[in-house]
Amino acid sequence: MKKDIFIFKDGELKRKDNTILFLGEEQQKYLPIEQVDAIWVFGEVTLNKRFLEIISTKEICIHFFNHYGYYLGTYYPREHLNSGLVILKQVNLYSQDSMRMPVAKEIIKTAVKNILIVLKYYRSRSKLVSSGIETIESMATQIEKCQDINELMAYEGNIRGVYYQNFNDIIDNDNFQFIKRSKRPPLDGINALISFGNSLMYTSVLSEIYKTHLDPRIGILHATNGRKFSLNLDIAEVFKPIVVDRIIFNLINRKVITEKDFKKQTHGTMLTEKGKKKFLKEYTDKMMSTIKHPRLNQYVTYKRLIRLELYKIQRHIVEGDNYKGFVARW
Amino acid sequence: MFVILVYDFGERRVAKALKICRKYLTWIQNSVFEGDITEGKFKMLTLELERVMDKDNDSLIIFQFRSKRYSDRLVIGLEKNSLNHII
Repeated sequence: MKKDIFIFKDGELKRKDNTILFLGEEQQKYLPIEQVDAIWVFGEVTLNKRFLEIISTKEICIHFFNHYGYYLGTYYPREHLNSGLVILKQVNLYSQDSMRMPVAKEIIKTAVKNILIVLKYYRSRSKLVSSGIETIESMATQIEKCQDINELMAYEGNIRGVYYQNFNDIIDNDNFQFIKRSKRPPLDGINALISFGNSLMYTSVLSEIYKTHLDPRIGILHATNGRKFSLNLDIAEVFKPIVVDRIIFNLINRKVITEKDFKKQTHGTMLTEKGKKKFLKEYTDKMMSTIKHPRLNQYVTYKRLIRLELYKIQRHIVEGDNYKGFVARW
Repeated sequence: MFVILVYDFGERRVAKALKICRKYLTWIQNSVFEGDITEGKFKMLTLELERVMDKDNDSLIIFQFRSKRYSDRLVIGLEKNSLNHII
């Protein structure tokens, strides 16, 4: 199974003997090019065109993050899976509300179901989340009645608001009280964890989209605007609760991440490099862990699950098989 | 599958073998590589190596494991190259 490489050290990425060489200050490391899925760059890294050439032929994406861990952008090699047909159908779906709404609704409904699965797990561990579950369940019934995307997004926002309030019941550490969701920059530890985790998920989904015929610029739920990729944000909604949020609860409740892993910046709070590494370790372990897929009757990793979800979207768009989202079972 | 690959090639071909292996597996110490690899990539690797080796003088041994579950990795002394994917 191909692996993601995360680079925090400063140095140079080089092409050497048709493979990748990372030249750090005190270490040099060869990375087997055939086993690299994507490269995530957090440190100060220089690279040249010859390197990009080999990366492109091997179809490896390079994701860049700035000093604060914000997503900067991706070196997205030329599309190797070109399909004008899929792009046309994607645009068609996006521009017609009658086609777009059912898929958008299904995405939100799946995301909410996964939120409920996470909360129910913690209820069985005698955490006081029952009232949250009831509120979300009653709000979820309203989703079907939504007329347009904005209304749908508003419902999703409200549900997420209730869900985030429940974080306080799940996390038993007073240093990580959830008060209000704050972004760019996050103002406290818990928000910093949510932001970092979500940006990892968006990036992972983007890596997977590259391996399908879909165009990441054309979203379904999220508006397609001039700047960003949007399809990855849609699919990430489905996986954020079961991957990112679970990691946050685990890391805090097992005291792996403590206040020491954050630093105050002039405007907000950030994870330190050590904190980021701890999070990434947990994140990659989770993404590579396998679960038994109910329909395929096969063990698949979470990473694979994301790809399967994209294939389902693609089938919906091209062949008209109704998209049904992935709901975790525990 | 998980493989451990060891080779003993003649002086003229040893550098070629090293370069080929580096593309597919992680170097752990002189003439030894390990890593997870798919069946297809594994075939590519062995084909490339067979092309450069001199079958009368060079030897190539590959241990294959279906999973790492029943094995332990013990390092005594210096670990020359860590397998960490977070650099």
